[in-house]
Amino acid sequence: MTAYKFLGDGSVSPFAGFRWPVGEWVEAAAADPCRRGIHACRVQDVPFWLGHGLWEIELDGEIVVYQRKIVAPRGRLVRRLTDWNRELLEEFGAGVLARTRTRFGAVAVLSGYVGDIQNHLASGRVPLAAFAAARAAELSGGPAEYERERLRQAAWLADRLGLGTA
Amino acid sequence: MRLDREITCAQVVDLVTAYLEDVLDADDRERVEEHLVFCDGCSTYLDQIRQTIAVTGRLEPEDIPPALQDKLLAAFREWSPA
Amino acid sequence: MVAQPPLEERRLVDALRAGDESAFTRLVEEYGPAMLRVARMFVSSRAVAEEVVQEAWVGVLNGIGRFEGRSSLKTWIFRILTNTAKTRAVREGRSIPFSSLAGEDEEGGAVDADRFLGDDTRFPGHWAAPPQRWEAAPEGRLLAAETLEVLEREIAKLPANQAVVVTMRDVEGFDADDVCNALDISETNQRVLLHRARTKLRRALEEYMQ
Repeated sequence: MTAYKFLGDGSVSPFAGFRWPVGEWVEAAAADPCRRGIHACRVQDVPFWLGHGLWEIELDGEIVVYQRKIVAPRGRLVRRLTDWNRELLEEFGAGVLARTRTRFGAVAVLSGYVGDIQNHLASGRVPLAAFAAARAAELSGGPAEYERERLRQAAWLADRLGLGTA
Repeated sequence: MRLDREITCAQVVDLVTAYLEDVLDADDRERVEEHLVFCDGCSTYLDQIRQTIAVTGRLEPEDIPPALQDKLLAAFREWSPA
Repeated sequence: MVAQPPLEERRLVDALRAGDESAFTRLVEEYGPAMLRVARMFVSSRAVAEEVVQEAWVGVLNGIGRFEGRSSLKTWIFRILTNTAKTRAVREGRSIPFSSLAGEDEEGGAVDADRFLGDDTRFPGHWAAPPQRWEAAPEGRLLAAETLEVLEREIAKLPANQAVVVTMRDVEGFDADDVCNALDISETNQRVLLHRARTKLRRALEEYMQ
């Protein structure tokens, strides 16, 4: 199946520190010293893991689904999604801010998060801004609202990056 | 108010050794990593723990002083294998 | 799981059993400095630590005939060392608790509570005063000799059980299993002691780096 993966400079995985080759099948044991498997995002997982470079990855074998990722025994980097860059990240952040302002800008207690998000964006911390928006949403209506905000973020990214169409 | 699934920075700090020792269960590990994505403070903290470990590993071994070495050798020569 | 000891190790053990002095000096060279450093964490002075190391080697020689290779030779030697050191510490009136962590030094969280936001804020439990990257400090500061001295002093200030564990793990590079086996403590205790020690060492470096 097709999934997505954020990698740092030089296609290095952010937590395991594995340098991914492009186009070659990689077994979990090689990519992850603890053999937990190859971690990847479904479309709905993408907003949780925002990172430097976004790649499409093909997974093979039995896939285990976690709350915010999927794990497979084998994977192959297919291509880098070059539309994912700093400008798009900032545009994403601006959308998060606008939505939060519309929904909660006039709500006591929650309106403070609008200013927080603005500050996070001003300092370039877009993932933190996206978390703050989901946090405000959860405070407004419980855990389901947190997930709903994250799904809205995922939908925006899917639309702009053409995720989930492969 | 704490969120349903949220892990706080204070908790990440408490879990940092368990995270590095790889003894967290899959859910906790995911929550820690999810937090690290957006939290610069905790990413810095984790890096600093790693740097601390690295610097600690650079402490030089002290040589066994010659007098002790002599005593050890004497003890060896006194000892006869069974 | 009992792995066969590596050939190299079996040869060394055989040579030592046969009374080969060069095998002995090789082992002393390899493990002696680490033994001295670890022993020093248990007892009151350098001189006493040297006596502990000497006593431990006598124990190694007397026991080598019975060494079965169930653990690595290194783990076995350090088990003898730490047992010798523990006994000596008790005789010195220093009791060093490894198996029970309750009530030893009273510790709050790893980091001062006031570095985190309170429950009445928009981000409770998140950083109020996040750590500042050390990369901002003058280049090379982290690796300077003075920094190593700060660490040495801080390790010396730790409770002895934490000092022993962090010395074995992070100074001498033992893995967790080796430390558990040598000290006869559970994996959890080992990790808690290591956590407390690393936390304090980081904090000491943080203060120094600022």
